[in-house]
Amino acid sequence: MRKIFPAEELARDARFIRQTNEQRLSDPRGPRVAGGNASEQLAKLTPGLPNGPDRARALMHGIFVGEIQALEGAGRTCWDFEVGEDVPFALKLDMARQCWDESRHCEISVALAEHMGTELGEFAENGLLYEASCNPDPVLRLTGVNRALEGLAIDVFNTMKEFGNLAGDPVLEFCEDWMLADEVTHVKMGSDWLRRLTENDKERLEKALEFQKVVDRLFSFNGFRGEDDDSPIQLTRRFRELAGFTDDEIDEIADMSREAKAEAPS
Amino acid sequence: MTNTKRPREPFAPWDRRTLPGLFDVDETAERVGHYKWVETKLFEALGGWVATVPELDVKLRLGTHCYHHAWHADLFDKRLPELREMKTDRLTVPANDQLVAFFDAMTEPEDATMTIEKLVGVYRVLIPYKIAAYTYHRNATSEITDMPTVRILDFILQDEFNDWREGEMLIQSMIETEEEIDRAMNHQLKLEKLMLAAGGVAGPGSIGDPYVEMPEEN
Amino acid sequence: MPQVSVTPESFEMVFYDAAVIGEVVAEVAERLGVEEEITLEIDEKSPLGRSKVVSHDPIELWVDGGALENTQRPRQFGKARSRDTIGRLLIRILDRRSGRFDDAPPDDELELTQIAAWDVHCVGRLARLGIGGQQKRRLYQFRNRHGFTDLADAAFNQLWESSELSWSEIERISQGCRTP
Repeated sequence: MRKIFPAEELARDARFIRQTNEQRLSDPRGPRVAGGNASEQLAKLTPGLPNGPDRARALMHGIFVGEIQALEGAGRTCWDFEVGEDVPFALKLDMARQCWDESRHCEISVALAEHMGTELGEFAENGLLYEASCNPDPVLRLTGVNRALEGLAIDVFNTMKEFGNLAGDPVLEFCEDWMLADEVTHVKMGSDWLRRLTENDKERLEKALEFQKVVDRLFSFNGFRGEDDDSPIQLTRRFRELAGFTDDEIDEIADMSREAKAEAPS
Repeated sequence: MTNTKRPREPFAPWDRRTLPGLFDVDETAERVGHYKWVETKLFEALGGWVATVPELDVKLRLGTHCYHHAWHADLFDKRLPELREMKTDRLTVPANDQLVAFFDAMTEPEDATMTIEKLVGVYRVLIPYKIAAYTYHRNATSEITDMPTVRILDFILQDEFNDWREGEMLIQSMIETEEEIDRAMNHQLKLEKLMLAAGGVAGPGSIGDPYVEMPEEN
Repeated sequence: MPQVSVTPESFEMVFYDAAVIGEVVAEVAERLGVEEEITLEIDEKSPLGRSKVVSHDPIELWVDGGALENTQRPRQFGKARSRDTIGRLLIRILDRRSGRFDDAPPDDELELTQIAAWDVHCVGRLARLGIGGQQKRRLYQFRNRHGFTDLADAAFNQLWESSELSWSEIERISQGCRTP
C-alpha cells in the first residue's frame, strides 16, 4: 500500500457520485454551501425557513460524506508517517482514536439521514475535505484538518443542534450534541500537537497556521460561516475556546468570514 | 458479632493461583515489545486501508478496529517501563525479519477490488496467531508476579475475539463465488507460510513447544 | 399525450433539454388524466427548488431550475425529481378544480403547516400512481411543521394513505396534531 493516497481514488460504492472542485466552482449559478446555494441570500439555517427541512437534509448528507472523508484522513495519518522519524507514537494513537470517533460519526450520520428521509448518495460528494488531509507534512495536515476542518465541524454541529432544538426534534439535537463533544476533542488534539511539535520551530508553526488559514478560507464561501445573525452557520466561540483557540484566532476567522461575505457576488 | 481475631488463609480455598511462571522479567519485556510492534503495524495498516475499501460496512469496521489495536499498543507501551525498560522504543521491534516480511505481504493489497485479501490477512491469519500467542502468554506467566500483564492480555483478548468474529463474518459475507474462495485461500496460504517462517507473532516459541524429548531406549 | 410548451427553449447555465422536459411533463400529466395544454416556465438561473402554479386554467406552471435537477449530478436534469415536482403541481390543480378545495386559501397565502399537510396528501397519491415518493422526506418535513410526536405521525399516515380528502379535512387533520 502506497504512502499518501490520492483523493481521486477514494473508494466508494456505486451510490456515491463525486463532484470535482472544478465542476463545483464552475457552476454559473454559484457553488452549494450549507445545504443551500451561494446564489440565494442564505439566511441562518432554521426550521422556520420554507426550505429549512430540505436544507437541513442536504447539509446532513454533506456531514455524512465529510465524516467518511475525516475517517479516511485520520486513517491515512496512521499509515503515511513513521513513528519516531515523522511523528511521535502518541500522535498516532490520537489519530487512531479519531478513526474510531469518525466511524461512529458515520454511523450516527447514516441513522440521522434515515431519520430525515435522505438516501445515502442522494447528493453529490465533494472531496475537498480529504484533499486537505493529504498534506505531506504531518504538522500542516493536523493543523488543516483538526483545527480548520474539525473547527468548522464544531460550528456546523452546533448549528444543527440548534436546528433540532428549534424544530423540537430530540433525535437530531441528542446526536449532534454527542458529535459536538467529539469534535471539540479533535480540535483540541490539533491545537495540542501544533503547540508541542512546533515548540522549537517557529517557522514550521507559521507555515502550519498559514495552511490553516488557506483551508479556513476555502471553506468560507460567501462568508456562510460567521457571527452575524443571518450567517447560515454560526461561528461557535464557546466550544472553540474549549478546543484551544485563542480569542484572537476566533476573531480572525470571524473577520475572514465577514470579508468573504463582502466580496461575495450579490 | 464478627470475630475479627479469627485467622484466615491469605489465599481463599478457591484461589489456586501459583507463584511460578515461565517468563522472567526480561523475557516478558521482550515479548511485550514484540506485541507492541505487531499491534502498531496492525493499527497503521487498518487506518491506511480505510480509504481504499469501497464497502461501507467494512470501511467503518476498519476504522473502529484501528483504534482497538492502537489501544492495545498503548497498553503494552505503558507496561514496558514497569518491566524495567524505560526506553520503550528499544524493545518495540519485530521478533525477526520473517515477521517483517509477513507484514509487508499482508499490507501489500491496496486496490479497491482487494477487500477480501485485506480482510483475510488480518482476520484469518494475523489475529488468530495473536490470540494464540497472547493466550499462551496469559496462561503460562505467573498469575501473581505478572498479574498486570495477565490483566492487560485479558482485556486485549476480549477485543481480539470480538474483532476476529466481526472480521470473519465480513469475509464470509463478501465471498460469493468459488473464484473468491480461491482468492481468499491463496492469499491465506501465502501469508500462513510467511508466518510459519516467522514462528508466530513473538517469533519461535510464540505458543511454547508441545513436543517432548524421546527418552533413551533401555 | 397533452401538448407541453417549455420556456426557455434552450438552456445556458444547466444541461437541460426542453424536449426531454416536455416529454416528462406530458408523461406525468397523462398518468394523472390531464389532457389539456400545459405551459412550463423554468428559471434556469436558480438552483433552488421552488415551484408554483401560475394559472389553473389554462395550466401554467413556474419552477426554479433546481426543482428539476438531479441532486447527485448538479446542473444535470433529474427525471425522478421532475416527476415529483410536476406531479405535485398538477395534482394540486386537480384538487382545486374538484370542488373539494373551494374554501382553501390562495397558494401564496398558505401557511407552512398547510403546505406541508397538503404536500403529504399529494405525494402519497402520486406514490400510489408510481410517480415520485420519498415518504420519509415528506415525513421529516411534516414533523418539522407539526411536531415530532406520535400524534403527528398518525396524522401523516392518514394524509398519506387517504385517497381524496377535502381542504377542510386536511386542515382538521393538520390542526389536530400541531405542537403548540
